[in-house]
Order: sequence, then structure tokens, then C-alpha cells
Amino acid sequence: MRKFVTPLTVLLVPLALGLRPSPVGAQTLSGEEIMKRSSLAEFYPGDDMKARVLMRLITKDGGERIREMTMLRKNLQEGGDQRYFIYFHRPADVREMTFLIWKSPRKDDDRWLFIPALKLVKRIAANDKRSSFVGSDFSYEDVSGRDVEEDSHKLLREEKVDGKDAFVIESVPKDPASADFGKKLSWIDKVSFIPLKEEYYDRRGDLSRVFSADEVKQVQGLWTITKRTMKNVQTGHRTEVTFQEVKYNLKLSDALFTERYLKNPPPEAVR
Amino acid sequence: MRVRASIWIALGLPLVFASPPASFAIEVPIHGFLEVAGGVRLQDDPAQPEDATLGEGRVQLEVSHSWEKGPKVFLRTDFIGDAVLETTKIEVREVYIDSPPIPKVDVRIGRQILTWGTGDFLFVNDLFPKDYLSFFIGRQSQYLKVASDALKASLFVEPLSLDVVAIPFFTPDRVPTGERLSFFDGLSGRIVGKDADLTLEEPKETFGNTEVTLRLLGHFQSYEVALYGFTGFFHSPVGVKDPMKRVLFYPKLNVYGASTRGPALGGIANVEIGYYDSREDRAGRDPFVENPSIKYLVGYERQPWADFTLGVQYFLDQMLKFDRFQASLPPGAPTRDELRHLLTLRLTQFLRYQTIELSLFVFYSPSDGDSYVRPSVSYKVTDNLTAVLGANLFSGGRSTPFGQLDADDNLYLRLTYSF
Repeated sequence: MRKFVTPLTVLLVPLALGLRPSPVGAQTLSGEEIMKRSSLAEFYPGDDMKARVLMRLITKDGGERIREMTMLRKNLQEGGDQRYFIYFHRPADVREMTFLIWKSPRKDDDRWLFIPALKLVKRIAANDKRSSFVGSDFSYEDVSGRDVEEDSHKLLREEKVDGKDAFVIESVPKDPASADFGKKLSWIDKVSFIPLKEEYYDRRGDLSRVFSADEVKQVQGLWTITKRTMKNVQTGHRTEVTFQEVKYNLKLSDALFTERYLKNPPPEAVR
Repeated sequence: MRVRASIWIALGLPLVFASPPASFAIEVPIHGFLEVAGGVRLQDDPAQPEDATLGEGRVQLEVSHSWEKGPKVFLRTDFIGDAVLETTKIEVREVYIDSPPIPKVDVRIGRQILTWGTGDFLFVNDLFPKDYLSFFIGRQSQYLKVASDALKASLFVEPLSLDVVAIPFFTPDRVPTGERLSFFDGLSGRIVGKDADLTLEEPKETFGNTEVTLRLLGHFQSYEVALYGFTGFFHSPVGVKDPMKRVLFYPKLNVYGASTRGPALGGIANVEIGYYDSREDRAGRDPFVENPSIKYLVGYERQPWADFTLGVQYFLDQMLKFDRFQASLPPGAPTRDELRHLLTLRLTQFLRYQTIELSLFVFYSPSDGDSYVRPSVSYKVTDNLTAVLGANLFSGGRSTPFGQLDADDNLYLRLTYSF
């Protein structure tokens, strides 16, 4: 029974995405189209989402720091505006801190941070999306997605990653100053359009960071990266992220993503 | 001997409470921190016999509980052993109850910390009490805010929200009073420390003296716009009740203001204005009571590169009825400027995956010719343990706001274990 279900889903998901059920070939999709679908698959699944996110920040010598948070996301339009709400559980000195992001493609994000000890709602300048997200190897842009149109994408080849068929795409920023990478290679799963692996090269052409989707599974029928790693190969530092208790389509209200709940998050939203 | 006992308490108190994530039988988690902090004066202060400006052990405990679809209760208490003042005390920072969740309305009753406005360490329409003494000696920035015993009601009708706060018990700002830091005593025209003998007379605790303040806030796309109103008292003693007996008081005050904040020039910009209606000297003819004034604030913050933040602010305090103030001064009395200009600069750089934070905050007033520089280095040794080394450096003429603290420059170190 299990064996039967998997190939069926493989057929149904492309159908649901409006694709032809036949194997998706290199001839049918351009690099840009693949990356657009990949962006939707990675950053927009469901109308909304809630997850408990555990980040392990690991130094070259094995020293470890933990960031644990509840993340809520709501799409206002698929591929368009999104709202993020993040509530920190750990480390202790930022516990109960909340973070609100209103994300719009082609425009700087609006970000608010609430510091509970001061009862202060702080507006965060968001013009530099390359700043590290909570000290991890992920930048803000890695967490909420980079606008596909900011880069030129070229389909290089197709090859297998861990037994999965993947497109290999080369992305180059149209404005070199807009990114801290000179070039990025992505291995995009031909079935789920989830990135299985990414290699970021700095402007000198040296490999700088490597992303890997270590566990990808379906949650409520939606492909989800439940374990991922970003490794900085130049410093040896890496960040391992686990998404637990992932739930989609909870019908989160727009009001949740406002200053009222930033200051006073409802228990059901952060548990 | 007494000093030694206090130091022992200051250092030992955290150990007594050192039982990380403990819980009650009813599963109420306890959080907080243990902290040891010390600070010393960087030069002799003739008005202060002691070199230490800060020496304390502090335990902060926080418990809260929310009932399903019911109210929430919250308690945050500090236990402090203070080696400088040779005291121990318990300070309830916050204790409040929140109304059960109902659409469009939130109510909070009890001791609470309140903050609004757009400034960074500068306040125009935030008339909630501040603890500048803690700020000047290197305590955590959360201690800049003093809690108010208040009732707060908030109404939410998208995209607007209205907050109304009633504070029945007057809480003044905590400012240097000579006990730990010296200050300029305008009545005697000199810097005073432990020998300070001014009497500060607070407003009577009557129903009519309840302070009321409100804010109407609107979100319009990326921009926030707010209107503010306040009726109550100045929170610093800017009135002289009896110059011979050396009694100061907190005159009546109304404030009307507005602010906006949002993206501009690749960063975040804010503008705020407040009209201070000094109700006991509207005409400006009484030299012993602060004149009415208008305060203006413009700020801008951006991230020029990853993990670096740059912030600048310009603050202008314009005394109204200045001619009458001057005319009212007794011959030979020190005068003041009509305009007080103040600039601030904030630089913050995170290093090594945000485990190291280098921070610099500078206040500089071209009109007063004084400045206040706050450098600090913070290192997160582990997720739980943070060490902060910093300084508070003042300079300027002895009668200026920051210059009066010139002999109180201090260096501090804090070790904080959070759980």
C-alpha cells in the first residue's frame, strides 16, 4: 500500500501545480521558471503555516548554541506579500521576544521587534537582508526567500542528488551589490521543486556556503523541508535547523500579524 | 565590617537562588537571571567618599500563567544585595493581570512597564517614569524604565489602536540625588554629593492627581502615525517651591504630541513632536517653574553593512515665552538658552555569529557644550552566560545636564546568567 501511494503522489503534486503529469523535462521549463516554482514550493506552501523551529549553531570546534522559536507564516498572495511572526523560546535572555516581518517582493521588508523587558516595539532597518538571522549561518534572505527576479537563472544540466532527479540551476545576481554571493548553484528536485542542495560562491568564485535539505517530507500533502543545514565552508561554522510540529492551513487571522499580538502573543499562537 | 557583610550578600545572593529552570507543583515555569555587577569611578569625585558606583548581586525571577480563554497573571521580582548602599531589597518590577481575550479590547491592571514614542534613549511623548541613575551607572537597559501602578485599556479597530492609561500614584524619574552620583544644585550653585540637602515634594496622592495619558496609533502601509495626550506632572523636579528651605516640586504638566515612523532613504526614519504645556507657568513669568516648551525629535537608522547598525538623532527643546523668563530672572541669576540642541549617535556591530556586540552611544549637545558617551562590549560566553564591559563618560560645564556628572565617569562589568 505504501509503495503504491508514493508514485501516485508524485503524479498528483505536479497536477496540483498545474503541470503536465509526464516527467518534467529540461525542454519544457527555463531556469527562471524552475526557480519561480522552487520559490513557491519552498516559501509559500499552504495558505499559512506554523512550526516549532530548532536551530543548532555549531562552531568548527563543536561548540553549540541553541535558538528555539515558534514561527507563523501567512501568505496574502501566492508568490506575493507574506507575514511572518516569530516568538523566541530560547536562549533565555531573548525568551518571549517577538519578531514581526511584513514581506513584499521588490521592496524592503517591514520588521518590528518587541523587547519584553522594556515593553519596547522597535522598528528594524531592513535594507541589508544579508545580516545573519539570530546569529546563524542563515541570512534574513535565506529564511524568507530571495526575490527570483533579482537573479539571472540558467539551467545547466540535470543530475541525481541522493537518488533524486534534479535540475541544476546557476543563478547570478543582476546587481552584484544586492547579494553576498557572486554565483549560486541549486539542485532542484524535479518532483517537489524543493531545493535539495545549494552552493554559494563568493565574488572571487570560491565556495563559501553549502545548503542541504537533509529531510524532506510531505505534511498535509505539502512538501516540507523538516531538516536542513547551512554550512559556511570557509569558517567551518554550520547551522542545523529542524522544523517540528509543522501545520498548514490553520486559518491564521491577519490580526495576529499586528503590533497588538507582537506585544501580547496569544498562548495558542506560540505554544 | 558592615561593608564586608553587604559584599558577601551581594555575591552570595545569586548562589542561594541558583536553581535553574525550577518549577512549582502546578507547572508554573520560573525564568529570570542571576547577575553580579560592579562599577568604579574613573577619577576622584570630591563630593563622593566612595570609589564604587555599582556593586550588586541581583536575582530576577519571573512567573506567569495564562488560563485557557481566561486571564493572564504575571510577576517579575528582583532581589538585590547592594554593596554600595549596604542594603538588601526586594523590588517588584511588574505584577499585573490581563483581561481574558476578547475581540478588540485588552485591559491590563497592576504594576507594569509602559513605553511608547519613537526615540532611541530620547523621550518626547513617553512620559512614563525613567531611572536615569541606573542608566548612568551601567545597569541593564531594562532598568531605564520604571514600572507604573496603572490601569491600561487598549481598543483595536484596524488599522487603528487606542491606548488609555491611568496612573493614580505618581512615580518620579529617578535621577542622581547625590547618594551615588553627584549633581549640580542650581540653588546653591555648586556640585553636591552625599551632602545634598534638597527636599523633593511629590504631588499628593489624590484622585484628582491621577495621571492620564493616551495614544492613538495607526498603521498605514509601512508607516506608523501616532497622536499622544498626557495630563499629569513633570517627572523631574523642575519647580522651586521654597528657595530658602530648599524645597523642589513636580509642577503640573499637559503634553500634546504626534509622531511618525517608517522606511526612508534605505533605512528607518522617525519624527516626533510634543508641546509641553507647563500649567503652573503658562505665561512664563515665574522663574521658579519650568516654562512651556516644544520638543522636536528627528531620527534615522540604517544597516550600511551586515550586522552593523548606524543610528542618528537630532533633538531640539525650545523654551516658549523666553523673553518673559529672562525678564523674570533676579539680577545676577544664571540664565538658560532658549534652544537646547542635542545630537545622538548609535553604532552597533555584531561579530562572531552575534556572540560579540560592540556598541557605542553618544549624546552631544552643541548648545550646552556637554556630552555623554556610552561604549560597551558584550560577549555571550554561552547561551546562558553574558559578560558586559562598559563605561559611562560625561563631560562639559558643571551646570550642564551631562557635565554635572563629569566627576562620575565610571567603568562597569556585569556577568549575567539567564535561565
